[in-house]
Amino acid sequence: MSKVLTIAKDEWRFWLRSRLALWGIGVFVAVLLITSALTLIQAEQAEHARLHDQTEAEARFASQPDRHPHRMVHYGHYVFRAPAPLAAIDPGLDAVTGQSMFLEGHRQNSAAFADVAASANLGGLSLLTPALVYQLFGSLLVVLLGYGAIVREREAGTLPTLLLQGVRGEQMVFGKWLALLSLAAISLLPLFVVGWVAEGFAASAALAGAYLMYLLVWAAAVLVLSSTLRSRGMVLTIATSAWLCVCLLVPSLAVDAVSRNAASPGKIESELAMVTDLRELGDGHNAADPAFASMRANLLAQYDVERVEDLPVNFRGVVASYSEEKLTAKLNEYAQAQLDAELAQSRQLGRFGWLSPMLAVASASRAISGTDITHYHRFLREAEGVRYRFVQGLNKVHSEVLSFEDDMNRNNGEEASQRARVSADNWRVLEDFRFVPAALSERLTTAMPALLILAVWIGALFSGLLLVGRRLAP
Amino acid sequence: MSAGSAFVREAAFVMRDRAIVTAVFVALVLSIVSVTSGSLEVRDQQRTIGSLLETDAEERRLTFFEQSDWGSAAYYSFHLTYDPPSAFAFAALGQRDSTAWKHRVRMLAMEGQIHERDAGNPVFALIGRFDFAFLVTFVVPLLLIALLHDLRAAERAVGRHDLLVATATNAKAFWFTRATVRAVGVYIAVIIPLIIGGVLSRTSPITMLLASAAVALYIAFWMWVCLRVSAWQQSAGAIVSALLGVWVLLAVVVPALGRIVIDQTVSLPHGSDILLTQREAVNDAWDLPVVTTMDAFVARHPEWAPYTEVGQEGFEWKWYYAFQQVGDQHVEPLTNAYREGRLLRDRWASRIALLSPPALMERTLQKLADTDIPASIAYELEVRRYHDSLREFYYPKLFKGEAFDPQAFERLPVFTPIAQSR
Repeated sequence: MSKVLTIAKDEWRFWLRSRLALWGIGVFVAVLLITSALTLIQAEQAEHARLHDQTEAEARFASQPDRHPHRMVHYGHYVFRAPAPLAAIDPGLDAVTGQSMFLEGHRQNSAAFADVAASANLGGLSLLTPALVYQLFGSLLVVLLGYGAIVREREAGTLPTLLLQGVRGEQMVFGKWLALLSLAAISLLPLFVVGWVAEGFAASAALAGAYLMYLLVWAAAVLVLSSTLRSRGMVLTIATSAWLCVCLLVPSLAVDAVSRNAASPGKIESELAMVTDLRELGDGHNAADPAFASMRANLLAQYDVERVEDLPVNFRGVVASYSEEKLTAKLNEYAQAQLDAELAQSRQLGRFGWLSPMLAVASASRAISGTDITHYHRFLREAEGVRYRFVQGLNKVHSEVLSFEDDMNRNNGEEASQRARVSADNWRVLEDFRFVPAALSERLTTAMPALLILAVWIGALFSGLLLVGRRLAP
Repeated sequence: MSAGSAFVREAAFVMRDRAIVTAVFVALVLSIVSVTSGSLEVRDQQRTIGSLLETDAEERRLTFFEQSDWGSAAYYSFHLTYDPPSAFAFAALGQRDSTAWKHRVRMLAMEGQIHERDAGNPVFALIGRFDFAFLVTFVVPLLLIALLHDLRAAERAVGRHDLLVATATNAKAFWFTRATVRAVGVYIAVIIPLIIGGVLSRTSPITMLLASAAVALYIAFWMWVCLRVSAWQQSAGAIVSALLGVWVLLAVVVPALGRIVIDQTVSLPHGSDILLTQREAVNDAWDLPVVTTMDAFVARHPEWAPYTEVGQEGFEWKWYYAFQQVGDQHVEPLTNAYREGRLLRDRWASRIALLSPPALMERTLQKLADTDIPASIAYELEVRRYHDSLREFYYPKLFKGEAFDPQAFERLPVFTPIAQSR
């Protein structure tokens, strides 16, 4: 063990003497710190702004005057998605998805205003985040510092000396690996600190752990190459080509492959497919619509009355509630199909993690940070929940508080219109909305397949490293 | 020895170098993949538009003929608008992954509809597609680095460097020829699939010429960088590291910082303000005296001033659509500022891109492909114009109280994208 430690220490001494290594580390640290600071600021700004917008929207709803309850159904409400705490490290899908949604009766709107659509367009890699710095440049740093580790000693002729002095091959490779491991661990400190402050120790440790696994994959891979190939040039060419494939080519090629292979219908497509179905449901604004005939008959039988005017509840409110329920069930069915298609695409994309550990760590990172597709869908579903409950709350007020007679007369002059209003106290049916990510355990469960892929990568490369270490000969 | 024959001799020499042939072959394969994948995506988008147009028209027909008055006809009829991909879009899909290129609108307030986003899977937008623009912008420089970094270092390593320099009549020209042959190889490999794709998609020759020239300049730039850095008396490892550093700086760090600086300095109205203001304006109108709404409406449409009388009782569609329009008028300053701000950010981005050739390259291809931010804003304006034409169609009928005529269905304004002519 002490020999392993000595070799690791020697490697550090070598880096600290090498201008090139120092430059590499320096540039990496500078980019990382700047990106971390800027992302942190942006996340704080976004959180502040959206919380403000949310409370403002809630206050406006509550402060509406007395009016007809159905007016409030169309007045509607807004929900905003505050960023998850760990979005300060990995904002994930936040930039490319809408942050606010208008909730109203009879419709499910999409999440509007994605940051990226309004941001300055400076190319595909300009959405730099600390997460991307680790994914792209953490791995590159490991490659550039690690590629010479063994082959350098071989080229300089120091390898035989070391091996003859009683250092075993595996001690040699694991010593170098330990050096890279410590480098990776140190480089993850900023992430760990930010994550700890933002959410807490466990979440931050999980996120840092995922990146450590990823960097260990690279460290092991580059050492395998460095131990088996004969020249530094060769190791460097192959290692940087691998980096190019894993970090740039495979991810975007995978997107192409998955979008070819598993198409998902867009919102308008789903909407149009649905309208034919909806045609049969009837219009909730029109209580005389034949689609409500059987509902009406049942209701009359239930209260044992002849006419809707004699019902103890406001028939128009009952119809609004009934049709909202039917409509929502249909809307949800199509919305769910769209979400399922997107999830299926994500799962397919996840399988490309077997080819590119970067895809695996990126997906694990988004999952742990609470900025992945499941959290985006969670927002959509929770927003829909808020929508449905306040609309139905208002419909309940409509059927129970407002009389049918007053309701039918609502358009007959000023006084009648005043009578067809309910007290603003009823606007309290609206609940507060604060978007919070799932519990850490749940996020870890989502991240598990990706973490498993990383573990298999580590296992395979680790065995490879052990093997080449044993065979390391002068 | 003439430069021409030096080039031919060098080219013949290169053909025997396995590493170079491999790199050029890789460039060719990747270019074919990128062009094919971009073309398939464009074809899918065209098919989606085609099938949507069909169902949309059918659905509108069914809805329209169920109505018995103009107000309901306008309320229930949706109209599909779309931004078809340009002929060259296969090379640079640009903003089309993250911004909506199709909307279904009706005659209600525009602001409540235009911000709807029917965009695809956000994970795709985040990772980005493997289109030609991505290949050229990010991958080709790395291939060039792989090919050109060890021109001298490799010769130095095998001890031929000094001999070569001593026997060449002009050492500088010698290395230049060497680098040029390799760079031209890569250029030809990436450009041939692009040209084939362009011919198949009937891209205009001028666009193809401009794109090819831009790619040539871009490759020349990276060749120059590689030559400069590899002239450095250092090991191949140091040179590669330095070149990768330049790549990281130009392709990622400068654009990322530029984006943040621009976004922070050019502020935009908050989307939430646009939505809330619009909603309040439309909603308040229910409680305001009809005259207030109609006065604001007539200020924009004086031709309807004589027809603004609304009865004391009940509900009139013309008043309803008037306050929808007034709602839009109300947020116009915000929404104009939002659009102008985005354009201003884009203009600043075009300046910052001068500091980052990769950003410049990608932006150039997106501009040629009409998949940049101005193009998506132009589409938004087309949707607004179309929406205006719907209003022009219905206002006479609503304000003059014309009797409903289902046959008018055939005269409904039809959305025709300007882009269809490109």
